[in-house]
Amino acid sequence: MITDNRQYLEPRKVYIPLTDKTSKIANLKVAVEDKVLTGQIIAEKFNGKTKTPVISTISGTVVGFEERLDRFGKIIDHAIIENDFKGRSIELEPLEGNVAPAMVRNRLTECGIDQLTVDGIYTDIDFSRPVKHIIINAIYTNEPFISKDYEFIKKHAEEIADGITLLGIASHAETMTLIVDKFMDEETVDNLGKATVDKGIEVIIINSKKVQAWDYKIAKKLVNETLSNDLLDNQIIYTSVFAAKVTHDAVRLGMPLTKRQIALTGDAYKVNTLYEVRIGTPLSELSEELGGYDETSNLNIHVGSFLTGYQLESDEFSITASVDSVNVSSLRIEKEEVCIKCGDCNDICPAGILPQNIMDAELRNVNLRIVDLNTHECVECGLCTYVCPSKINVLEWVRRAKRRVG
Amino acid sequence: MEFITKKPPIKSNQQRSYKRSLNLHISLIIVSLAAVLTRAFIAVPEGETWLPDAMFKTFLMLLTGAFISVLIELLYSIGEGKSHEFSEYKRLVDPINTGLIIALLLPTSTPIYVLILAVVIGVYAGKIVFGGNGYYIFNPALVGVLFVNISFAKQITYGETPLVLLKNALAGQTYTLKLLDLFVGNYAAIAIGSTSVILLVILFIYLLVTRVIDLRISGTFILTILIVSAGIGLVNFGTASGLMWQYVLVNMITGLTMFAAVFLVSESVSSPTSRETKMIYAVVVGVLTMIVRALGAEIEGIVFAILFGNMITPFLNRTVKRSNKKIFIKTSIILLIVVIFTGFALGFIVQGRLQEIFSAVVIGGLF
Repeated sequence: MITDNRQYLEPRKVYIPLTDKTSKIANLKVAVEDKVLTGQIIAEKFNGKTKTPVISTISGTVVGFEERLDRFGKIIDHAIIENDFKGRSIELEPLEGNVAPAMVRNRLTECGIDQLTVDGIYTDIDFSRPVKHIIINAIYTNEPFISKDYEFIKKHAEEIADGITLLGIASHAETMTLIVDKFMDEETVDNLGKATVDKGIEVIIINSKKVQAWDYKIAKKLVNETLSNDLLDNQIIYTSVFAAKVTHDAVRLGMPLTKRQIALTGDAYKVNTLYEVRIGTPLSELSEELGGYDETSNLNIHVGSFLTGYQLESDEFSITASVDSVNVSSLRIEKEEVCIKCGDCNDICPAGILPQNIMDAELRNVNLRIVDLNTHECVECGLCTYVCPSKINVLEWVRRAKRRVG
Repeated sequence: MEFITKKPPIKSNQQRSYKRSLNLHISLIIVSLAAVLTRAFIAVPEGETWLPDAMFKTFLMLLTGAFISVLIELLYSIGEGKSHEFSEYKRLVDPINTGLIIALLLPTSTPIYVLILAVVIGVYAGKIVFGGNGYYIFNPALVGVLFVNISFAKQITYGETPLVLLKNALAGQTYTLKLLDLFVGNYAAIAIGSTSVILLVILFIYLLVTRVIDLRISGTFILTILIVSAGIGLVNFGTASGLMWQYVLVNMITGLTMFAAVFLVSESVSSPTSRETKMIYAVVVGVLTMIVRALGAEIEGIVFAILFGNMITPFLNRTVKRSNKKIFIKTSIILLIVVIFTGFALGFIVQGRLQEIFSAVVIGGLF
């Protein structure tokens, strides 16, 4: 249960990762002892096709570079910037009224908005490939257990709607879809409805209590073809309302992306909070602010969605734009029972493949059968493991099968 | 304190395999109690055993079935060095279920040694040989029951059950049945488990809600029996007399139809895993049951039918590659046509007029 709403915007130092999940190379633009402003470009990361700037999230001095663990569990280079608490920022001109697609794209690149949501089938905000559809998820959940409080959407409904339109302009999208929840409170739905009316945004209401890969089904309905692991291949940008909000901020207000609201949950914390933090703050600092962990048992840290997130061995990683929630809870391992072949995983699979049969084929080492069962269509949503009554990690078996046949 | 990683997903829903078998366990115990009580008001023919004897015998059978089943699994696990698992009731649930089902599938007249043999064969040859719970390919209870049904046919006797009467009625004999008696279970039953159909329907709904049984198997099975028996009834009795509906009703509510729908057909380990194959499996079982009932020498065909269904399950599992709505609807429609066709065909076969009909429709239509 989230009971608190806090801010932590002035850390002493920030640790900014120079590369990310897709961009593996970075060129530095600053040196040690350089003074930087908020929003100033400190490096450019390269993913093989396009360059994206890495921006400083505070004003201060570059004090060094260090290899640290990032939120994906990889050791990469981080730039360390010491805060001077003056809060000086670079000046970007606000763009009013109708804007050209290229202007929006440039502004998004300048403000370091590219990888905001990484869980499940979310895509990067990438305009280098043609895009036909934009899907925005307003439920913004860490499916299925953290329910986000809707204060954020309530407050920023107008900005979100504008952000969606801007994303649509930038990508020349044909359709824009907003996914909302049946159980949202009335005010939130009202605000969103008022904001999105007349903007050509289609609102789809889903029942989030039933966990069944709604987003996948909506995307499939839009394109009417087999979805690939990366929705950008199907000409879809799928992202969260946070991305729409920061798009609006970047274009209309000239604000670079330096803050992020994250949910800190789990039974290891004394209070569960919604935290507004400066990007680059290490999680360990936030945990200290919250009064440390309950240290009686072994813990596990889970970053992102419960079904598809990442688990880390240390809390020293820094919060990036792609972290939306962190769960720290005591380690619970449920005993795996034998498969009773109930077929629940086969029923729920959004891709329409048969996880139980794939697992069976993998156990018997039958390569031909694995290929036959269309194993490559798996998008690793994790629903098969979620529904399994015997607590078998079905997803892991399907992953193994995928790796076996390439 | 340390940070330890495990593979995501880290959350799962509320369903547990153990909870499912526990729900089945509770239902089986309720049915067992009902079976014992049902004996109290079944009329006993002249010169037969005294009433409480039948009650006690039923009770003894259920107890023996459960006990022997647990005993065999316990002995085996001692050999494996895993007997400590039996200190929890959790481990006992599954053996007791198998033992109770075997006892419930045999009539009161069964000698106790036959029952013991059935349990030994069922649990050992049907379950433990394959690797225990979760690995067997045939429903263990039915393996045991089939064995004794064939080997000890003389010892296992039952009276004039409604299905026997029906079979005779197809040959032209008359019979009388009271509707109320059928509903509460007051008739000479083929097995002690074939008790009040009302109770079984309640349990059916309960197990459906708790997701122990699958509607796509049990529901399809019941529908198949309904349609096929309606077809046979229609061809043989016509719509004019009430006999057709009586035929359907007796097939639905007596015998082991409801018992099988609740406890046997959708036994998950030995049935297929995907939507379409589940329906095909249920239709195969239903049709085969009706074939044996209408044409075979045996009175009740469910045991054979389900074992045959189990036999083709690996094949069915092998035929599917993916599962979606379109294929599901297509399969359902094809199956519906097959079932209706089978119903009428069986009706004509019972009358011995299939050749005649065939000539009239096909050859007569051609020339």
